[in-house]
Amino acid sequence: MTPRRARLATLAAAITAVGAILLLTLHPAGAQASYTRISGEGSSWSAGFMDAMRVNVKQFGITVDYNPSGSTSGRKNFLNGTVDFAASDIPFQFQPEDGSAPENPAAGSYAYMPITAGGTSFIYNLKINGQRVTNLRLSGENVTKIFTGVITNWNDPAIQADNPGLKMPDKKVVPVVRSEGSGSTAQFSLWMIKQHGALWNDYCQRSGRAPKCGETSFYPTIPGMIAQSGDLGITGYVTQGFAEGAIGYVNYSYAIGAGFPVAKVLNNAGYYTEPTPQNVAVSLLQARINTAPGDDYLTQNLDGVYSDADPRNYQLSSYSYLILPTKVQGQFNEAKGRTLSAFSYYAMCQGQNQSASLGYSPMPINLVSASFDQIKKIPGAEVQNINVASCNNPTFSPDGKNLLAETAPFPSECDKIGQTQCAKGSGGAADQDTPVSGGGDGGGGDGSSGAAATGSTTEATTAGNTTSATVCDPDTGECTVANGSSGKASTELASASPTTLQGDSGWGSAQTLAVLIGALVLALVFVPAVMWRNLSNKQGAP
Amino acid sequence: MTVVEELAPGAPGPGALTKVRQGPPPEPRAPEPRRISNNRVKGDRVFLGSSYLSGLVVLFIMVAVGVFLTFEALDALRAQGASFLTTSEWETDRGKFGIASIMLGTGLVALVAVGVAMPIAMGTSLFITNIAPAKVRGFLVGMVDLMAAVPSIVYGLWGAYFFQGMAVNVARWINTWLGWMPWFSVNGADPSNPNGSLTVYTASIFVAGVVVALMVMPIQTSVMREVFSQVPIGEREGAYALGGTRWGVIRIVSLPFARGGIIGGTMLGLGRALGETIAVALILSASFDLKFRILESGGNTVSKLIADQYSEASGFGLSALFAAGLALFAITLIVNFTASWFVARSRSGAESDG
Repeated sequence: MTPRRARLATLAAAITAVGAILLLTLHPAGAQASYTRISGEGSSWSAGFMDAMRVNVKQFGITVDYNPSGSTSGRKNFLNGTVDFAASDIPFQFQPEDGSAPENPAAGSYAYMPITAGGTSFIYNLKINGQRVTNLRLSGENVTKIFTGVITNWNDPAIQADNPGLKMPDKKVVPVVRSEGSGSTAQFSLWMIKQHGALWNDYCQRSGRAPKCGETSFYPTIPGMIAQSGDLGITGYVTQGFAEGAIGYVNYSYAIGAGFPVAKVLNNAGYYTEPTPQNVAVSLLQARINTAPGDDYLTQNLDGVYSDADPRNYQLSSYSYLILPTKVQGQFNEAKGRTLSAFSYYAMCQGQNQSASLGYSPMPINLVSASFDQIKKIPGAEVQNINVASCNNPTFSPDGKNLLAETAPFPSECDKIGQTQCAKGSGGAADQDTPVSGGGDGGGGDGSSGAAATGSTTEATTAGNTTSATVCDPDTGECTVANGSSGKASTELASASPTTLQGDSGWGSAQTLAVLIGALVLALVFVPAVMWRNLSNKQGAP
Repeated sequence: MTVVEELAPGAPGPGALTKVRQGPPPEPRAPEPRRISNNRVKGDRVFLGSSYLSGLVVLFIMVAVGVFLTFEALDALRAQGASFLTTSEWETDRGKFGIASIMLGTGLVALVAVGVAMPIAMGTSLFITNIAPAKVRGFLVGMVDLMAAVPSIVYGLWGAYFFQGMAVNVARWINTWLGWMPWFSVNGADPSNPNGSLTVYTASIFVAGVVVALMVMPIQTSVMREVFSQVPIGEREGAYALGGTRWGVIRIVSLPFARGGIIGGTMLGLGRALGETIAVALILSASFDLKFRILESGGNTVSKLIADQYSEASGFGLSALFAAGLALFAITLIVNFTASWFVARSRSGAESDG
């Protein structure tokens, strides 16, 4: 009896303990469960930011499902009422230029809220003599030519001219584009139309989309291009070992995440820049935001960004939006509206602090305030009176100016057109230098260009050694003096230039001989046996 | 019985017997066949009814799916007419779409898959049934079944991020030496350049097909294993007794007996390969060229097309996707019916048992 009672007592104690633990752990969850789970779909361009926000709001008991299946898909499913909100890089397409079916949301049933900013960057996988290139530069025209199939080899003179410090290899260019309807495709095609319209229209005809595609979410492809779904699909393809020569367009954050470089793109001031959070903030100062009340409230016009003459400008910068429901529709209801408003407040206020570390650019103060007003339109929204200044957003300053843009560092002298490029890497490969040479035997090779190249080398070297760029951290606002790392030791490597050898094509005399030898060896083994059998058969037969 | 009855009244004697025999033959009274009635108990009736019902439900669902697909596809089919079968492009918003290239792509992926999987499946099943020791047999069967249980997205990710990097070298080798065959040629490839780009061989029908082969192999193996295990033991032992080698027995006894099962299993695998979606969608780069060049990047299959586009298709575009789905549905049905016919025919085993 006694042992049994003791056992019972132990059991009771154990149950109590487990129960207490369960109660303790469940209690906060019980308090948080008041937020209804919501789901969204859309842009994969902004998905990096969205995912970080989703993880962050978990602590408040807010669960947000997000499916980065592309802006087109997000807008469509928002209209179908199968998701609670959409994320899209471009607004609803009432009159699509590419002939696809128009989207017709009911007036007053939605509101745009700019959630993050960033740059569409060109992630590439290129090696010279087995060493990864991390400091590629491209002019806007060359970018367009690459993605319209005009430039098909990396040693094209036009690309060589952008990169006087590199000896471009004889490698096929493989443009990697989005296979599904995508907002970044739309932004990219819009930029090409505005900047290099003739090339784009010519390409549209060649790709079979007659007579011209206009701004389109669906990239027209020609043989030789690879289509992958989502920014993640493009990144996944480009970063693989076999994909040497591939270049794709993704949000800057994906290149950071993959540890791969992005091409610096030439701007109107004559500098090659990459979409760092600071550069994007500077560029988007020129974006014209539609402030007329109505359904297009807060949409962007990027013409000013394309024509900006600031040396820090990156032309392919843009805002990405959440499309919020302003009416109870589909599966969306007021309980979900409460969750969505809490999520939106977090993303617009505290969340912005984190965007620079992800590769996105934080929103300026005017758009944050405007977004707070948009959130109020969500049915069931729990209005929070947030003092914008308390959001700890790196762009805010007491005088209302965009602090991040004000303090953005200017590009180094070696990023200027005509100069031998910087050795420092870009994007996710910022810590990997690529040795540069002063042109050497690259390019034309006539006396004058050689002299110019040599001159620029000296200049670049001095620039690299003396000017120590001031780098300001977007989070802390702390400015440090970064010493330009000199690639002196590795410069020796770059002087080796790739040589194109005339290889054998398929079958040659060596192959014929190999087959002959193989046949003879087989004959040596089998012929005597067969012969002997035949002979003995003849002898054996009477 | 009847004869005895006729004889009974007459006197017993040879004359009488003759007399009776000479008379007109008696009308044989048709015997009442015993009515066989089956007095089913209640449980039997319930069981019979429910099995009839479930059988009919399956049939009904199949027909309903077909009818639904046809109904949804009507819009697109009516707009396109016969050119739906001959157009390669897929631009529904411009009214220019058809299944020529995607059906070809579907077929090519399936053919590559079956071409790779069939020899492996046959070897595996022969090994399991004829060669492997009994202890290992169960383990091997389990392993093959386990392969079938791996979700196709896993195969897809493995294929896209690991296998593709290896397969491009094989593709390059094939292209270098056999590129003179039109289906092994690759536009834009330069085998003579040792530094040449491997990207032209990626995202190809070949890579997708080999990954799909891994998915269809288990089903082929299990069908073939089943048939090989039914090879009459007497015949095999007879062949051994006559001095046949192991290979000889397999060749003379096992393979002819199982021919129907091999064909059927292969076709069942083909049916599955035709519909494989997510792995193909991850690997293949969408293109709508009508081409046989399996090593070249780009291609499309019906299921990939639907997976890629259904979430963003407009009303009419959706109808067009349904039309493509209908075509795949019909082809898969035909393939699977043919397969089950072959399997059923081989399983009777009548021609070999005697």
